[in-house]
Amino acid sequence: MTARIESLKQLQWDRAHHAARRVLPADMALPYRDAALSDVMRCALRTKMALDMETPYLFPGELIAFTRTVPNLPFLFSDEEWADIRKNHFIHESGNVSNLSPDYGKVISSGLLAIREHLEQSEEHAAMRMSIDAILALTARYEKAARAAGDDALANVLVRVPAHGARSFREALQSLRILHFAMWCEGDYHNTLGRFDQYMLPYLKVDLDAGYLTQEDAFELLCAFFLCCNRDSDLYPGMQQGDNGQSIVLGGMTPDGRDGYNLLSQMCLKACAEMRLIDPKINLRVSRDTPLSVFELGTQLTKLGLGFPQYENDDVAIPALMALGYAEEDARNYAMAACWEFIIPGRGMEIPNIGALPFANTVDKVLWQKLPACADMEALKAEIRRAIFDSVRRTLCERQNLYVIPAPYLSLFFDGCMENSQDVSLGCTYNNWGLHGTGLAPAADMLAAVEQIVFGEGLPALTLLSAMDADFEGFSELRQRLKDAPKMGCDDDRADKHAVWLLDTFADAVKDLKNERGGIVRAGTGSAMFYIFHAGELGATADGRERGVPLPANYAPSLNVKLSGPVSLIKSFTKPDLGRAINGGPLTIEFSDSVFTQEESITKVAQLVRLFVLRGGHQLQLNTVNRERLLNAQAHPENYRNLIVRVWGWSGYFVELDKCYQDHIIRRAELNL
Amino acid sequence: MTGVVFDIKEFAVFDGPGIRTTVFMKGCPLRCRWCHNPEGLSPRPQLMVSRAACTHCGACEAVCPHPDGCVACGACIAACRGGYRRIVGQTWSADDLAARLHKDADVYALSGGGVTFSGGEPLMQWNFVRAVLDRLHGVHTAIETSGFASDAVFEDAMARLDLIMLDWKVSDPAAHRRYTGVDQEIIFRHARMLAAGDTPFILRMPIIPGVNDNPAHFETAASLVRDAKALVRIDVLPYQRAAGAKYEMVSMDYQPDFDESRDPQFFTQVFARERIPFQVFR
Repeated sequence: MTARIESLKQLQWDRAHHAARRVLPADMALPYRDAALSDVMRCALRTKMALDMETPYLFPGELIAFTRTVPNLPFLFSDEEWADIRKNHFIHESGNVSNLSPDYGKVISSGLLAIREHLEQSEEHAAMRMSIDAILALTARYEKAARAAGDDALANVLVRVPAHGARSFREALQSLRILHFAMWCEGDYHNTLGRFDQYMLPYLKVDLDAGYLTQEDAFELLCAFFLCCNRDSDLYPGMQQGDNGQSIVLGGMTPDGRDGYNLLSQMCLKACAEMRLIDPKINLRVSRDTPLSVFELGTQLTKLGLGFPQYENDDVAIPALMALGYAEEDARNYAMAACWEFIIPGRGMEIPNIGALPFANTVDKVLWQKLPACADMEALKAEIRRAIFDSVRRTLCERQNLYVIPAPYLSLFFDGCMENSQDVSLGCTYNNWGLHGTGLAPAADMLAAVEQIVFGEGLPALTLLSAMDADFEGFSELRQRLKDAPKMGCDDDRADKHAVWLLDTFADAVKDLKNERGGIVRAGTGSAMFYIFHAGELGATADGRERGVPLPANYAPSLNVKLSGPVSLIKSFTKPDLGRAINGGPLTIEFSDSVFTQEESITKVAQLVRLFVLRGGHQLQLNTVNRERLLNAQAHPENYRNLIVRVWGWSGYFVELDKCYQDHIIRRAELNL
Repeated sequence: MTGVVFDIKEFAVFDGPGIRTTVFMKGCPLRCRWCHNPEGLSPRPQLMVSRAACTHCGACEAVCPHPDGCVACGACIAACRGGYRRIVGQTWSADDLAARLHKDADVYALSGGGVTFSGGEPLMQWNFVRAVLDRLHGVHTAIETSGFASDAVFEDAMARLDLIMLDWKVSDPAAHRRYTGVDQEIIFRHARMLAAGDTPFILRMPIIPGVNDNPAHFETAASLVRDAKALVRIDVLPYQRAAGAKYEMVSMDYQPDFDESRDPQFFTQVFARERIPFQVFR
């Protein structure tokens, strides 16, 4: 890290720029809320207002400028208007365009003025023009401020971008910063930075080849850009702080079929390791041909406890997306939405998180209603299949007459929106929807327990249901038998086969469905926050899980299961045909940071990731256990049974250690962070 | 042919090269004062309780058929709602254990890994371990041993394993007896056998404050392996204060008999000077 970056990071860390923030008064006039104005025009007027109110703020030694000074953005509609819209429409989340990957590269290269020239008289075009003009006006104010501060280098960059196409790496980064900044000012959220290493590489190469920049200079600029991404991120919380969609995708196949992993991909991984910030979050696209050294570089980030990179497997994702109807060059060009959903940059107006199939709740409900009447496993599975189909269809029926708040500015980054004068909120090339699939492992565990103990050993169904009803109070022997039944995650086909079947059934259920925009419906293995909701609806379950024990997040084993280890875990979780669940949702594995005390562990963990890829896994996320999680585990041991810590020459379950040793490990975690 | 195993650990990153699975064999003839695996000492299955998590609800006592002395019958395990009780020590047949280990042979091959036998003292159940090894064709195998076994067994182990990790605990014979409970002579002889042989080996030195963190111990270790052609390296394993964590869980007292609070000292200069490869674990 250079001295300049060090000082910028420290200033930002000290929140020096927060002093320049001013919150809008609650009673300020909102002229865009004129009943005569269309939603598109309102949106543009509000974007203009937000940008016009911004005051340039420059850090000393600034390399990449633009800092938000007006943190809040009044809503587009009055409460009454919004209530009225909600009455007649399905509103997804907050109603804004979200979870898309804008084609920033296109605009960085052309500049906003070249686009502006093509705009005509339609209202959509007028709204686009108004947004562009407001961005350029704010850029001009920043230029002036830079000039006044004596920073001609920065001022000259701002003269050039984003009005014109970028010519250098610095101009391209500055242009991206402004374009992405304006996205937030339009009120859109969770929209990602996409395939950064692909659309930025040409600028880097020009500078390096011509000798304008050394690799060290370029690295410093990259670090400055990464810093920027964290500057205002406290203003953009999703479900939690940090859930802001500011992710980038590195590596992976290019649209024309080449390996896209390049010098910039590598620089990004190294910059993340040096900066140790939450943004941008890294998605690393890999395949069976990815060299081990790339996995090792990724593992260096895992070791730091950053929680990324998240890995995506091209070998699975690209054919799977093509099977769903995506064009080959688009499938090869996939990026990730805010969390893990596979989306297409610049072409998808997809809603990959519009709902969820609650596997555990669906199986549990069928057991309650139908188990006593089922003669065998086949009969039970037929009922479950019916219930899964019903659940999916019901979810789709509840999502009719979708309304999305327009985003004329963001539309500039989507194929055909300007040409057809159509707002992206109304649709683009791909208009598919995705459903998460929560609680798959507990659902498979329930079926494995029922198969063994009810249909195998002859336990009466009503006895099982009574025990569940009593939360196993007075049924401790039975509870133990259920707990000892096969569980998903231990490479045991007796449980894993049910997960294979459940996921296939989910994929079957969505196969021929069409949403109201003509798009398809995709099955996934993610959970987002749904697993919290779904666990709250469950009592004790047939897998021996007591009432109140949480469901696992994403694609992961049940929380109260004693696992065999990461190798068996990966083998279990790569048995299902994950190409059929390509809405996404990662297998999540947690390591103790003590695993990494020897350098050779980097290679071993990298080999484990590679194993997942070779076995047909779709998406993987590794965590290094941190202090906070350990403290939680200490307070709520019942929820952290699987938390493994390496103590010295042996590993143990954290919750099984005496408190003094838990404290010891927490202390050590503190030192390592 | 059966053996008693107290744990099978996948992805054991400190137990040899590549991705490995380590089998912990139950029972050990040594009583090292710093032992961190007390559940590996007795050769028999026994009850293990997570006392830190226990809520003292009394359900286990209510169902216990042997209140005067635990016989590891396991009656209390189902009664514990938290799942904090288990029997440590499972009896495995050689066929079943080999099948369990062999299922991941593809992973071992992919990563240059394999299977490691640890303990306890795996040579104490050598006939069983050998029977498992005979069934692990094509898998890289390693052992972590104190070296306390008959010459015939040790020779056999050298012939059958791909890597031997031998502990060199205490150089002074009297201190060795005091801190480990056994004579050093036999272990010294086996270290010499390794140094003279062709089987790749790692010498592992647990460094305990006040017991063996002195220059003479490091000098002796260096002299042991000075001319060894199959030495991979020396691993220096500093004592960790969490070593006593599991004693209470198996109803034992941890009596370290040395100053636990002091950080051990290393005198690895001799290795550097003599160009002996070594690695210090932290």
